[in-house]
Amino acid sequence: MFLKVQLSWNVVIPAENLDIKGLMLQKAILVRLLDDFSAKKATKDLGYLLAVTTLDKIGEGKVREHSGDVLFPVNFTCLSFKVFRGEIIEGVVHKILKHGVFMRCGPIENLYLSNQKMSGYQYQVAENPCFLNEKTGSRIEKDATLRCVVIGVKYLEAQKEFQAVVGLEGDYLGPV
Amino acid sequence: MSDKGGKGGKSALKSPASKGKDSKGRKVQFDSEDMFDEKFETNGNGNGKSNGKDGTPFAKGKGGKGDKGGSSKKEPPPLLLKVEEELPENAKCLMNCEAAQILQGIQDHMVLLSKDPTIKIPSSFDRALQYANTGNFYTNPHSVRQTLETLKKQDVSDGEICLIANTGIESTKKAFALIPSLKAKKSKVKESLGTALTELNKLKTVTESTIVLD
Repeated sequence: MFLKVQLSWNVVIPAENLDIKGLMLQKAILVRLLDDFSAKKATKDLGYLLAVTTLDKIGEGKVREHSGDVLFPVNFTCLSFKVFRGEIIEGVVHKILKHGVFMRCGPIENLYLSNQKMSGYQYQVAENPCFLNEKTGSRIEKDATLRCVVIGVKYLEAQKEFQAVVGLEGDYLGPV
Repeated sequence: MSDKGGKGGKSALKSPASKGKDSKGRKVQFDSEDMFDEKFETNGNGNGKSNGKDGTPFAKGKGGKGDKGGSSKKEPPPLLLKVEEELPENAKCLMNCEAAQILQGIQDHMVLLSKDPTIKIPSSFDRALQYANTGNFYTNPHSVRQTLETLKKQDVSDGEICLIANTGIESTKKAFALIPSLKAKKSKVKESLGTALTELNKLKTVTESTIVLD
């Protein structure tokens, strides 16, 4: 689910980027903010950080004694993406294993759907392996889009990545 | 007091009578948890703290029960969407169509933005835009928001509203199946949800025809 978030960060402008012209300073602050924002990539609470939408307020700068850099408190609004337990999402299958499939959903690279969470589907050994529901004829194969429910979410702090376990158990879930 | 408790704990291992007591104690615990859960489902706006508390032991308790009591094959609890509890105060849910509009707006300026090497775009941007566009059934996010916002009077949460829009649900039956947390409010919500979904469908058909024209 996408989130609209209001944040307050401190942006550090190196002394050499300080300009007499106010406009340039504002640009330097924005560029620096976008830089920090991209580098941050994701947080546990907000998910993947996607874009800064508005720069709401630039506070008064404080000079750092030793370096001469200036620190500006900045309020801004941004967009992020996170999946939640119980959420219905659509994932695209990118890897099929005997025990389940891996899917992508937006910035999330690894959503795991175990074969235990897709009752009715059987693994088919073939050149292009897939899971087949013999009753309905529906297939889970590579590049298929599946509507599924999020069972659990995990955040990997070191990689700044989210992983999730999803299931197909419920009405109206399955290949779209 | 503490001595007494210790004694009880010891004897629990030995005598069958105290075993019974033990299991009885457990039963009461589960019942109360079930009650809490029902309470939570009906009072969608209960305070977040107690909801959060209920949520965790409930899940754990059920698991324990399943492991031990083979006789009672109760289905696992439905996955309830509790976005509001997980979200910090400064964050708000957005529907895919709203996000798509914002992200597309930035994408439209990308030619200009990419000319300036100092401006960095997050690596997740492209894939998020792609996801927002695939799960976007409506061209006018504002009307969708207005239509679904009416459901807030019936205690439908922001997360549920977004899920309704993101899944492009057409019928109340489908809505209750895909969003179990709505079921608890079924009697209250059904009528207005039906009206809202009919309205949404009208917005949707407009979208589909424009896509065809494109």
